[in-house]
Amino acid sequence: MISIIGITSIIILIVLAFLLLAKMEKIKQMQSAVDNLKNSLDEMDEQAKLIVRTDMELNKTQEELDKKITGLYSLQRLSRAISTTLEEKQIFNMIDPSYMEDLGFEKACGFLWNTQIQGFQLYINIGYTQDESEEIKSSVNANKNMYLDLIKTQKTISSSSTSSDMSLKNKINRTYKTNSFIISPLVPKEGNKGFLFVGTEKIDTLVTEGDEELITILSNQLGQALDNARLFENTWQAHQELENRVEQRTHELTLALDEVRKISKRKTDFVSSVSHELRTPLTSIKGYASILLAEKLGALPSEVKLRLEKINRHSDELAQLVNDLLDISRIQSGRVIMKRESHNLKEIINGAVELLSEQLKERQIELSVDMPEEANVSVDAGQIKRVFINIIGNAIKFTPPKGKISISVRKAGKNIEVDTSDTGCGIPEEARESIFEEFYRVENAINEEVKGTGLGLALVKNIIEAHKGKIWVTSKIGAGSTFSFVLPQEN
Amino acid sequence: MAIQIGIGLSTQKDPFLAAKEATSQARLNLHGTKINLAIVFSSVELASPTLLKYISNYAGDPPIVGCSGAAIISNRGIFKHGVIIMLLCFPDSDGLYFNTACVKDIHEKFALSAGEELGDKLLYGLKNMSRHLSVIFSDGMIEKCSDLISGLQEKLGISFPLVGASASDNLAFKKTYVYFNQEVFNNAACGILWGSRLSFGLGTKHGWKSLGKPRLVTKSSGNIVNEIDNTPAVKIYEDYLALDRAALKKELKRISIFYPIGIKLSGEQEFLLRNVSSIEEDGSIVFQGNVPEKSVIRLMIGTKETCLSATYQALEEAKKGLFGQPVKFALVFDSVSRYILLGRDAHKELEIIKQALGKDTAIIGLYTYGEQAPLRAINYLGKAYFHNQTFTILIVGG
Repeated sequence: MISIIGITSIIILIVLAFLLLAKMEKIKQMQSAVDNLKNSLDEMDEQAKLIVRTDMELNKTQEELDKKITGLYSLQRLSRAISTTLEEKQIFNMIDPSYMEDLGFEKACGFLWNTQIQGFQLYINIGYTQDESEEIKSSVNANKNMYLDLIKTQKTISSSSTSSDMSLKNKINRTYKTNSFIISPLVPKEGNKGFLFVGTEKIDTLVTEGDEELITILSNQLGQALDNARLFENTWQAHQELENRVEQRTHELTLALDEVRKISKRKTDFVSSVSHELRTPLTSIKGYASILLAEKLGALPSEVKLRLEKINRHSDELAQLVNDLLDISRIQSGRVIMKRESHNLKEIINGAVELLSEQLKERQIELSVDMPEEANVSVDAGQIKRVFINIIGNAIKFTPPKGKISISVRKAGKNIEVDTSDTGCGIPEEARESIFEEFYRVENAINEEVKGTGLGLALVKNIIEAHKGKIWVTSKIGAGSTFSFVLPQEN
Repeated sequence: MAIQIGIGLSTQKDPFLAAKEATSQARLNLHGTKINLAIVFSSVELASPTLLKYISNYAGDPPIVGCSGAAIISNRGIFKHGVIIMLLCFPDSDGLYFNTACVKDIHEKFALSAGEELGDKLLYGLKNMSRHLSVIFSDGMIEKCSDLISGLQEKLGISFPLVGASASDNLAFKKTYVYFNQEVFNNAACGILWGSRLSFGLGTKHGWKSLGKPRLVTKSSGNIVNEIDNTPAVKIYEDYLALDRAALKKELKRISIFYPIGIKLSGEQEFLLRNVSSIEEDGSIVFQGNVPEKSVIRLMIGTKETCLSATYQALEEAKKGLFGQPVKFALVFDSVSRYILLGRDAHKELEIIKQALGKDTAIIGLYTYGEQAPLRAINYLGKAYFHNQTFTILIVGG
């Protein structure tokens, strides 16, 4: 019995031992599996580390790229905004805080040097209260040499580029209450220079080279915009000055012209009244001289008669002079109305030539008229006849005996042009304008001999102009002169 | 009659003009109906009593809650500068009631008791009534926001539906603001407690994926983790990124956004994310929310694609809560980390929201320094946590 129990126990022990061995083997296997798993997990963890590191690098690159794209967009918008104005102060107002924010900065200041006050003036203030900006301005002016030196170098500095100079970096950060910053000089070609400050309070924002580049581009564009504005301002001021001067001169000329008109009117009035006053006694003188010459009051000695004839002739001349003067002043003052009617110019010319035929014959001057059969003009016939009498009369006076006078009439557009040419001595160039002025007489031998009033051509000019026509002269010394005038054709 | 809402947006720089423009727009749809509540989000430069005073004046003095954000979100786009207002009118016949409250000096009072105080204030007058949802806004610079939530949960119930946002600033991480009636506060939190039956859906997702082997938090206290796997906590980042401590500190913002840690909580599907707030001299890491000792943690990694896919999932999850009811309005609390990660593609997220909810659905929201929401929002009894990196959405039907 005991042995059976013993054998059974041994068997059980052996089985248990086998089971234990099997279990141990399983545990060993499981331990090995756990170890494998652990190793895999560790490997996986190592891979995870690689993933995280790569991911971080990718994120950084992505962030930088995003920042640059956003920065470029806002720079483009800013440039467009800046270029819409040509007013210096307005340029800075165009810098909206949202643009700066997109560039990664919530604070900005813009300063320009003012030579008059020998200090910097603040033009942009973004992200600061009034008191803060005053503080910053005082600090900038207290350290103006530092900023002037910076402007001279024309180089952009930032909290990254000045990291080796901690005192400068800290000083700037303290002044502007920031943790990162960029300062870029504003260097227009002309006028006062300055600088642009941008910054951020954010501790984790690092200024990159890309940021510096963008702000440098912005400050260059601001400099360019300032140049444009100043150029425009200068041009505009010069233009204004010119306009003012033109206006002033015009005013002066208008005053002078008014004065001339006043004087001219006074002269016309004077001539008119004097002429009137002269005509009455002249008529009496001429009347008495005629009575005496007719010897109605008794026979006269030949000596007296001779003198009386002179009085009579001179009175006639004086009366003519007075009449011409009166006519000129009447025409100029508009008191004579031209009675314009349709006339054939040929009849008028013939009438004038007939009156002068004696003189032509006397001086053996040949007169030819070349004109179309029909040359109808709307004129005051009496006045135009006076024009021809004067012009032909002058031609006779200045043409040597056996000379030629030719009158040619032709259509010129809507006008009729009349040219009266002679083979006289000609008119010097400098006198050609003046001969139409009252009392002007060309200085030459003929005028010395032949008397004249100097009113004939002035009267002619007034009559032609009263007909809305025009008169001029062409001449060659020693060869002759051509007096030309145009008259409007009949409608 | 259902809830009536009006939305107004302004990008004016002057708080008075911004308040006037946004409130006038919001009132347009309301046709003079009495306004019961205003929710206001704005960028930091507009965070001023002037803004709230004029909103209150133009809206007829309703209770106001809200906070500042790095950017505001609306149907019309994402705006770095501006204010968005939602005015809500509850018809008497619907029996809708709510309470608003605010707690100040959180740091001095300690976050946990401040949370309890806020809970008590919100419950005032609603203790014996059914309560359905709480929406809270807190200063984004409060370090122990998890404790604030815990304090609130002490009073409202551990599994009470809670959704909220931690205010943010212009990514300076300096000063954020909470709006309550006509006042602007730092170091404070405010909230709304909705009584009555409100049809709503919640969705919160981050889209970050775990990477590397699980690790154990061997020593921690609140939001400070001293040791992971019995070595100084910072070693996890030193190992993964191959950077020394100084370099890590320099890259802190990037690390915080791209590589948070994820806490695996038992019974929950999603990892709870924690952003790094700072690295201490002894190698401890301060996180934006609590990390309990003995937690199993993983390093997390996110991409634009996973981020946007999470947005889509959160929207689907929120829509399930409405059981097919049309969406009346949506409140979006989106992490600034996602805003930075998405960068120029941030608008794609808004497009996904509009596509999911309908382009005319009223949407207001902001970018936050933290979000509060149940980890599995589909589970009505899911516990609310303080999150980082999430897209959190509350949609209300009607």
